[in-house]
Amino acid sequence: MKVHYKPKRNLLETIFQVEILQGMALTLRKLFSPAITRQYPQEKPPMFPGFRGQHALVRDSLTRDSKCVACMRCATVCPSRCIQISYDEDETHKRIINKYTIEVLRCVFCGYCVEVCPVGAITMTELFEYATYDRDTVFFDKEALLDNWDAFIAKTGKDPAYVNPLMRPRGIFESSLPAAKRLKVPEDWTIEGQYVGPKARPSMVGLPTPHTEKANG
Amino acid sequence: MITLTDTQTIDVPVQSGEEDRYHLKMGPQHPATHGVLRVDLDLDGETILTCDPKVGYLHRGFEKLAEHRTYAQNIVLTDRLDYIAAMSNNVGYCEAVERLLAIEVPERARMLRVMVCEMSRISSHLLWLATHALDIGAMTVFLYCFREREVLLELFAELCGARLTTTYTRLGGVRQDVTRSIMKKLDKFVEDFPACIEEYETLIDTNRIWLKRTIGIGQVSAEKALDLCLTGASLRGSGVDYDIRKHMPYAGYEKFEFDIPVGETGDTYARYRCRMEELRQSNFILRQCIDMLPPGPVLGKDAPDLVMPIRAANKLEVDVPAKNALITLIEDRDVFMEGDIYVATEVPKGELGFYFISDGMGRPYRMHIRSPSFIHIGALSTMAQGAMIADLIAIIGTLDVVLGECDR
Repeated sequence: MKVHYKPKRNLLETIFQVEILQGMALTLRKLFSPAITRQYPQEKPPMFPGFRGQHALVRDSLTRDSKCVACMRCATVCPSRCIQISYDEDETHKRIINKYTIEVLRCVFCGYCVEVCPVGAITMTELFEYATYDRDTVFFDKEALLDNWDAFIAKTGKDPAYVNPLMRPRGIFESSLPAAKRLKVPEDWTIEGQYVGPKARPSMVGLPTPHTEKANG
Repeated sequence: MITLTDTQTIDVPVQSGEEDRYHLKMGPQHPATHGVLRVDLDLDGETILTCDPKVGYLHRGFEKLAEHRTYAQNIVLTDRLDYIAAMSNNVGYCEAVERLLAIEVPERARMLRVMVCEMSRISSHLLWLATHALDIGAMTVFLYCFREREVLLELFAELCGARLTTTYTRLGGVRQDVTRSIMKKLDKFVEDFPACIEEYETLIDTNRIWLKRTIGIGQVSAEKALDLCLTGASLRGSGVDYDIRKHMPYAGYEKFEFDIPVGETGDTYARYRCRMEELRQSNFILRQCIDMLPPGPVLGKDAPDLVMPIRAANKLEVDVPAKNALITLIEDRDVFMEGDIYVATEVPKGELGFYFISDGMGRPYRMHIRSPSFIHIGALSTMAQGAMIADLIAIIGTLDVVLGECDR
C-alpha cells in the first residue's frame, strides 16, 4: 500500500496560512478541555494488583512469621543474584532460616522470585516510593521484609489474605500450580471466566480448552 | 594536563586550504541525539563534510551476560534492549528460543503476543513522533503524543506489573492473561486513537516549517537503503515493500488483515508518512485482537518452568505439576537440542534478530542480537553527507534509533 500525501496547498492557502491557523485552532480548543496532567506527589498514579514494587515477605496470620520454607527457588532463579538465603536443618530436616536478604540496589524487578515461590511467601507490593540517601535502608533482611508487608497492609488497607497476579498468574490451569498457590481468585483470572473475543473462532492449535472439552462432553 | 586561563590561547596547526574546516563533537550529552550517541563532525561552515557516529556509551555486554544465564533469565535482559518497546523484544526473544527448543505456544498466547507487540509499536512510534517533532521544533505534538502513550503504559502496568521493563512473555506463552478491565480500556483506546492521529496530522502534516525541515532531507534511494541494510519504516520510506510480519509471519500475524505502508521518495517526510500509516494499521490489528481473542490457557502445557530446562523435565517422565515443582537447575549437557538458529521479528525500529548457538546446555553458548538501531546508526554517515547541522538532527530523529538497543 502506497502512503498518500495531502494535496499541495494552493495560492490562497499559502497567503492566508490556513494550515497554521488550523493548528492554532486545535491548540485553542485544547485550552478549554480539562487538563490531563497528574500532579504527582499530591496525586498518586493508579496502582494495580501485581505491580512490581517493594519486596515483602508475607506474614502468616497464624505463626506471625514468614511462610518461607527455604527451598532456594527464588535465589536460584534470580537473574541478578540479589537474594541470599542461609538455613539450618533441625532433627526432622525442617529448614530454619538464618538469613534472608534482598539487596534492592541489585534487583531488576522482574518478579521471577514471586513467580517461582511454591508457597507464596515472597511477594512484591504496590509501594514504590522508598528512595533513600543510604544503602542500608534498601538492604532488606528478613525482619525488614516482614515489616514491609505490615506497612503495605496498613498503608493500603488491603486484606492480609490478598492475592496478587504475581503469586497466582492469570490464565493458567489451576492444576499446574503448587498446592499452596491454588488460592481463591476473582473469576476473571481463571480460564473459565476469561475474556474471549466476540468473534473468536474455536482454537486451531488443537490444545484442549475448557470450551472444547465441554463440547466434547 | 593543560589548564587555560582567559588570556592564554592554543595554536592549533591548520593545514593550508582547511582554514574553514571545523571539527565538532556533537554529544554524547546532546539532547537531540536520543541518548548517548556521539557524532564527530567535520564541518565546512555549516555543511557536514564527514560524519562519524561513535557508539558504545551505553554498552552493558548483554550478549556476554546471556551466556551465563538460563534461557528464561535472559528474557529480563531483552527488556533493556529497546527500552521503549520492551514487549516487542520479549516476543522476539521468545519466538527465537521457542523455535530453537521446539516449544509449542497456545493460540491465545500467540494472539496476546501480537496484541502487546502492536501496543508497543504504537507507544514506540508515539515516542518517536514526539521527540522527532520536538527536535524539529514542534512542542505541542510532543505533549499530545505523551497523552496517548500514558494510556498504553498504564495498560502495560495493569497487564504485567511494570510500565517499561515488562518481562511479559515466557518460554511457551505469556505470563499474565488479560482481564475484562484491560480489554475495556484497550477497546476505548482503539476507538479514540484514530481521532488522535488526526490531531497530530492537523498540527504538522501540512505545516510549512515541518515540510521545509523534512522534504528532501536525508534522502536515500531504494538501492542505497538496501545496501545500508536499513529495515523497518526507514526502508519502507524508500519504496521497498519489506515487512517481516507479512513476508515471514511469526506469532500468528498471517491471520491478521493489515497493509504495509510504503513511501516513494525516501526522504524524512516519506518515513514520517509511513510511520503515521503504521499507527493506523497497528490500531486496526489491535481491533482484530480484541474481536478475535480465542479462549484457552496462556501458557503451554509443555512450557518449561523458569528454573527447569524442558528436555530434562521430559526425561524424568513426571506429570506437569510435579515437573513445575522441581527446582533443579540442570546444567548437564544434552538436555537441550544442539544447533544454531536465527529468528527475525519486526519491532518498531526494524528487523530485530536473535541468533543462538546452543551446545545443549541450559543456557546459550552464544547469543547474537541483530539490533536495527545499530545498523541504522551505520547509515547515518552516508545520509548526513553534505547536509546541514540542523538537518542532522532531523536525520537522527527519522532513523528512530534507541541507544540502549544499539550499544546493548
